[in-house]
Amino acid sequence: MDKTNSINNQESFAVNKTAKLSWFGFFMALPPVLVIICFVGAPILIAAGLSLGFTGGPNRIIALIGQEISTKTHWWGTLDGYKSVINDPRFGGDLRVTLGVTVVATTIVIFMALGMAIYRRVIGGRLATILVSLSLIPLFVPVVISAFAIRTFYDGTGFVKSLLTHFGIDFPTLTMTNSAIAIGTIWTSLPFAILMISSGLQAIPDALIESAQDAGASFIRIIYTIMVPLAFVPIVIATTFTAIGIMGSFTIPYFLGPNQPAMLGVEITNFFNSYNRPQQSVVMAFVIFGAASLIAIFYVWANLRSAKQSGRI
Amino acid sequence: MSRKQVSLVNIFISSFIAFMALFILGPLIWLAVHAFATSWTYPNLLPDGFTFTWWKTIAGDQELVKSVKNSLLISPIVVLISAVVCLPAAYAFSRYQFFGRKSFLIGMFAANAFPKIGLYASIATLYYTLNLMGTIVGVIIIQLLGTIIFMTWIPAAAFGSVPRNLEDAARDAGASKLRTFWDITFRLALPGILVAMVMSFLASFDEAQGTYLVGVPTIYTMPTKMYALVLNYPVQIAAVFSLLLAIPSVLLISIARKHIIGGQLADGFQIK
Repeated sequence: MDKTNSINNQESFAVNKTAKLSWFGFFMALPPVLVIICFVGAPILIAAGLSLGFTGGPNRIIALIGQEISTKTHWWGTLDGYKSVINDPRFGGDLRVTLGVTVVATTIVIFMALGMAIYRRVIGGRLATILVSLSLIPLFVPVVISAFAIRTFYDGTGFVKSLLTHFGIDFPTLTMTNSAIAIGTIWTSLPFAILMISSGLQAIPDALIESAQDAGASFIRIIYTIMVPLAFVPIVIATTFTAIGIMGSFTIPYFLGPNQPAMLGVEITNFFNSYNRPQQSVVMAFVIFGAASLIAIFYVWANLRSAKQSGRI
Repeated sequence: MSRKQVSLVNIFISSFIAFMALFILGPLIWLAVHAFATSWTYPNLLPDGFTFTWWKTIAGDQELVKSVKNSLLISPIVVLISAVVCLPAAYAFSRYQFFGRKSFLIGMFAANAFPKIGLYASIATLYYTLNLMGTIVGVIIIQLLGTIIFMTWIPAAAFGSVPRNLEDAARDAGASKLRTFWDITFRLALPGILVAMVMSFLASFDEAQGTYLVGVPTIYTMPTKMYALVLNYPVQIAAVFSLLLAIPSVLLISIARKHIIGGQLADGFQIK
């Protein structure tokens, strides 16, 4: 297949050079992996311990400082930390908001990105370029600025409300609502999704699309029988990274959302800093990790599928 | 499509562009005007008057100035460390087959796929034991984590796309291995490496969530200072500070724009 070949040409650079295993390469590649083991892997294991009530060793100091820490009662720990979070009446609402905003915003982002990327790929032209460049702007704006800008734009004295007042429309104040969180996350997530999906669609050979058009395939049919399947992996990557990014966000919901219920990213920070209850904070982190790992499985599966198709593994 | 259909599509696309322009640019422009506004009466669409007072207020605020200095000190250090740690690895990933290569790749992606705020809370827990809470080193490490994926992946793709026959030709012509690397491989991969450095610098300079969790209240960078500004200061002060914070992004991105949008960035996110 054409597709497999073109992917192979682009991606096989690493594989075909040296067949024999290189120790030199291994040690060159080691430093970033060590950084990740020390400052991602280890902290997560240790925090998992804290969430289960292991308060000795590396958790000794945090257990001294923090309040309401339950200590393990079995050899494997205790679920008291998890129970206290689940029994907290705020938690249910927080979780619902987190998942709700994630699903809604991710869906909108992916559909907008798909629409714009397909339009650019099939029709192209100056309008498409303007549209895509416009949507990439948020990539270059620090998230604190975007959150603040969106906050002032949609608040009680913001542009949207001011403008519509002149037309006699009493528009609701969106700032401090979940709609504002959704708007903010869509705003910040759009560029990455467009870049990812666009680059996937660019890799589809022109000939394939043209021959389908010559054979009389409709626009819609070309989209779902050629473009979406061939750009499947980039679309999955865009979806998973968008969803996980939204789930783990703090600044946007902190500036734009209501005080209660809040997204878990805000609660994790509150529990850690303001309430000094690190165990509950870490428990909530693991709730998010759990949700994210379900999404991540999808991502790894898509990558492996593409690797198999192009014969890399 | 008939001519009528085409013009209908064009009208739809144009109005969608107008909507996107308002959706994307509106908040930024609204914010920028605030930086020069004396005061603002609702529901006017323009401020009551224009002034530079807010800029002077910022220049006179020692704490704000200190956060600017912190940011300008920390970010270059992060980029430098990141380059030293990651660039050799980028080369290795593009050129060698070695034991654990696949696990390394998946590990890096798994690390990047962790929801940020949960990861930061976990790191902060460990920081108490390591005595890194509220220290520059602690902040540097947090920000370094966000740069690794850029600094490994984009240069790996760049090294990988250097044509082998160019290197072979140089070797045949008698160039040493080192000379071939510097004059051919490195030079051709340089645009990719620069894009990686730009993205890493911005990732570090704009990092707010992790820095806030482990740095505050002893170390404030510009983005973490924004949290306090937004909630406790007049809108105009926060607006001025936002514009200052955006300067590096605008400058660096306008230099590297072509390469970033040209796909160097997207190349970096597929497991190869």
